[in-house]
Amino acid sequence: MKHFILFVAVIFSGLFFAVLHKTEQGAVTNSLPTLRVFGYASFTGRWGPGPLLKEHFEKTCNCKVEFIEGSDSGILLQRLKIEGESLGADVLVGLDQFDISKALADHTWRKLSLNNLDVYDSVKPALNNSFFVPYDWGVLTFVTRRDELKKTPKSLDDLLDPEFAKKIALQDPRTSSPGMQFLYWILRSKGEEEGFAYLEKLMAQVHSFSPTWSTAYGLFTNKQAKMAYSYVTSPLYHEIEEKKKDYVALSFNEALPVQFEFVGIPDLCRNCTLGEKFVNLMLSPEGQKIIMEKNYMFPVMKGVMEGTAFAPLMNVRTLNEVEIMPSAEVDRLLRRWTEIRRGELN
Amino acid sequence: MFVAFFESVKYVGHLLPISFLRIFLGYYYLESAMQKYRGDFLTRPRIADQIAEWLPASHAPNWFKIFASSQMIPNWQTVAFIILGLEFAVAISYLIGYVVRPVALLGVLLCVTMLFVSGPGSEDLYKTFLAIHLILAWVGAGRCLGFDYYFFKRRRGLWW
Repeated sequence: MKHFILFVAVIFSGLFFAVLHKTEQGAVTNSLPTLRVFGYASFTGRWGPGPLLKEHFEKTCNCKVEFIEGSDSGILLQRLKIEGESLGADVLVGLDQFDISKALADHTWRKLSLNNLDVYDSVKPALNNSFFVPYDWGVLTFVTRRDELKKTPKSLDDLLDPEFAKKIALQDPRTSSPGMQFLYWILRSKGEEEGFAYLEKLMAQVHSFSPTWSTAYGLFTNKQAKMAYSYVTSPLYHEIEEKKKDYVALSFNEALPVQFEFVGIPDLCRNCTLGEKFVNLMLSPEGQKIIMEKNYMFPVMKGVMEGTAFAPLMNVRTLNEVEIMPSAEVDRLLRRWTEIRRGELN
Repeated sequence: MFVAFFESVKYVGHLLPISFLRIFLGYYYLESAMQKYRGDFLTRPRIADQIAEWLPASHAPNWFKIFASSQMIPNWQTVAFIILGLEFAVAISYLIGYVVRPVALLGVLLCVTMLFVSGPGSEDLYKTFLAIHLILAWVGAGRCLGFDYYFFKRRRGLWW
């Protein structure tokens, strides 16, 4: 017992002094300017594009890149609002089209010079504001495992089939961007009233509404749900990273929604020029390739995806225009969704 | 003491395969702890984000969920320090085979906690580690190719 207590005490004391020393050393050597990039976990994490972009950027910028992490875009904006200048964010990565009007309403942003970007036609509508620029995009649909379902849904109405009862993993639109995309998809495909009536029926089919995409997708990969709302590129991830070919993205009669991810520079940035350079790196061919390969999303700039396994996946029928919804409208739709959800839970 | 370290192979050689498993696990924990130490595990609320993200879907009992959200998330720096300290303790103990039995029980505690606050992707890993820690504690895996043999020879008892 004495040995054990002594051993644990030595380890923890050693760690304590090591951390103390590291902090002091860090404070002394910290003379380079630091670019703080605020992003969601799967961007900044070691499996995401963040670390590679950082490595690339630090080679030329004579600066350090530091990531500040939030679990999703809603939380990013909330933290920016609450912590403001003390957060010291120079670049904000990972907003989607439903966050933009909220971001514009709550904060001031620096104008970005976006001349002559050679983007895909489907991306052009997303370039309609000068404060945010899209750096990747994805098409959302349901993903399932081959041969696991007796029937394959081909339309939204097919999802109401008893065969799929309690087998669908969805995201909560109040906290998750794909969840909001799903709500938008239903309302765009069916109209608002019919769409909410449909959602009421769909509640019984849903296994769970997870707070984030990763939780919902985790339930699916863990085989607790038979299908999950995800990206058309998700099966490609399993094929490349896990050598599994049994995942498949379903095609629907209804045109599929498109999610754009945007980057912006808040007005309270400290190293704003470095921030602009980082945005330029994200839009450069190298940056776009890193983002495509690590985020499993389509690049916005032409000439990166051609000849890769991503290119054929882009040819799906999608909703044509990119709607930047006012935040009041998003809140109204979410309130209606919450009422239905509450009714279902009661 | 060093003679006893190698002498153990002669007398408790049947534990040799399990000692390799112990050393492998120790190495795994050392790598994981070093990665956390070098990275920003102690300076950014990664663990708080992880708990907040996965706790709602966790199979943890309610008392744990309440404890995690009321104590662990606000005190994430302490939690991160304890996790890192425990990982180093498990790593060093397993690598040198010293106080393996009680440390394996700390490993069990660490695994159960991580199992409750991690996503389904790492569930199987933590379950497997949990079983390995229990087995290492059960057989006293530090007695072969480890310093525990020296103390076991002289003092006997459950701790070695």
